[in-house]
Amino acid sequence: MAAGSNMGGALRLATADSSAEALLRRTADGDRAALGQLYDRFASLANGLALRILRDVAEAEDVVQEVFLQVWRQADRFDAARGTPEAWICTIARSRALDRLRRRVARKEDSAAVDLPAAAEPATDDALAVRTAVASLSEDQRRAVELAYYEGLTQSEIAQRLGEPLGTIKTRIRTAMMRLREALQR
Amino acid sequence: MSEDRYLELVPLAALDALDGEDRAAFEAHVRDCAACQAELRAQQAVAARLGTATGRVPPSPVLRARVMQAAEREPRPRRGVGPLAWLSVAAALVLAVAFLVSRAQRDEARREAQQAAAERDRARAELDAARARLAEAEAVRELLARPETRTATLAGLAAAPRARARVVWDPASREAVLLASGLDPAPAGKGYEVWVIGTGAPVPAGVFQVDATGRVVFRLPVRDETARVKTFAVTVEPWMGTPAPTGPMVLAGAAS
Repeated sequence: MAAGSNMGGALRLATADSSAEALLRRTADGDRAALGQLYDRFASLANGLALRILRDVAEAEDVVQEVFLQVWRQADRFDAARGTPEAWICTIARSRALDRLRRRVARKEDSAAVDLPAAAEPATDDALAVRTAVASLSEDQRRAVELAYYEGLTQSEIAQRLGEPLGTIKTRIRTAMMRLREALQR
Repeated sequence: MSEDRYLELVPLAALDALDGEDRAAFEAHVRDCAACQAELRAQQAVAARLGTATGRVPPSPVLRARVMQAAEREPRPRRGVGPLAWLSVAAALVLAVAFLVSRAQRDEARREAQQAAAERDRARAELDAARARLAEAEAVRELLARPETRTATLAGLAAAPRARARVVWDPASREAVLLASGLDPAPAGKGYEVWVIGTGAPVPAGVFQVDATGRVVFRLPVRDETARVKTFAVTVEPWMGTPAPTGPMVLAGAAS
């Protein structure tokens, strides 16, 4: 009996905790107000990431628009077993921003190289945990992971950029990712 | 390649940083390896969290209205089906786009027919284009469904390390379709030319362009060489095509 009521409590708690997930479910059912709430919660996250990748305010905002239209169309594809809504939105934003970065490279345009606006919103506990984990990497490891994540470079391109052997770069990225994973599991 | 060797590639795959042979080998392996799939999901979760640590910067206040208006113009989302194979997704996407375009055009045509004949002609032309795309998608789906159909995986070469493609073909009817992604738009005046290489010189099999996202679904013209193909390849050539390859090769794969 006691176990039963505990379970009920846990269920209610889970429902209250996962409200971003609930918003995604409502969005998948065509609820525009839910999309608006997701925007209010995650637009600055998507914009910050797009801006870091593209360093262009107008292009970053175009990415934000694309991200939320994709969320609108594909909210039913969100899979809570594979990560948080935040992580899902970051995955979409990164992919859209890197697509634009590659088209810009293909057109041989220089990046606009604007100064990044300072992050105006306080970081979440999760963001701080990830930053701490990244700070535990060596400078070389962090640089290699950032070239892959924020510039979308492949292993050969990173080796070329850093002037180091491909094998060294592969080992370095592998070690860095394992270390991040360990640090984040703690 | 040993199992361990594939597992070592997982962190790089999670960052989309694989290229060349590593990428082709890993992608071929991971489809059937539950251990690598599980490891890839775990590493992708780590990669995704890197993004959440980036500083938050609010976009300009007017963007919210722009996004909500754009969503307003979109049809309400409909719940999708479960995960499908990569090829089916590509085919389904083509179908879905053709369907949505065709439906949107039909509705638009109804409204505009009352306003102006010129407008109606324009809508009709777009509807025809949508129908042509739908017929194309149907042909692809039909080819994919045949039991005789074979598949070759093409890996991106040094000139296009991110590119990947598949060719599905029916040796009996010599029909073939190429599905590619990760290609940059071809330079001005250029296109991507497909080559069917069998027992003799490479046989040209059409020139295609990719869309803004670097993807294409391209039906190859029927070539006798397709019945005895050993290798499919793609090179960058003048947009009208050339009788023999001259430009850099971007994709190649054996018809094993």
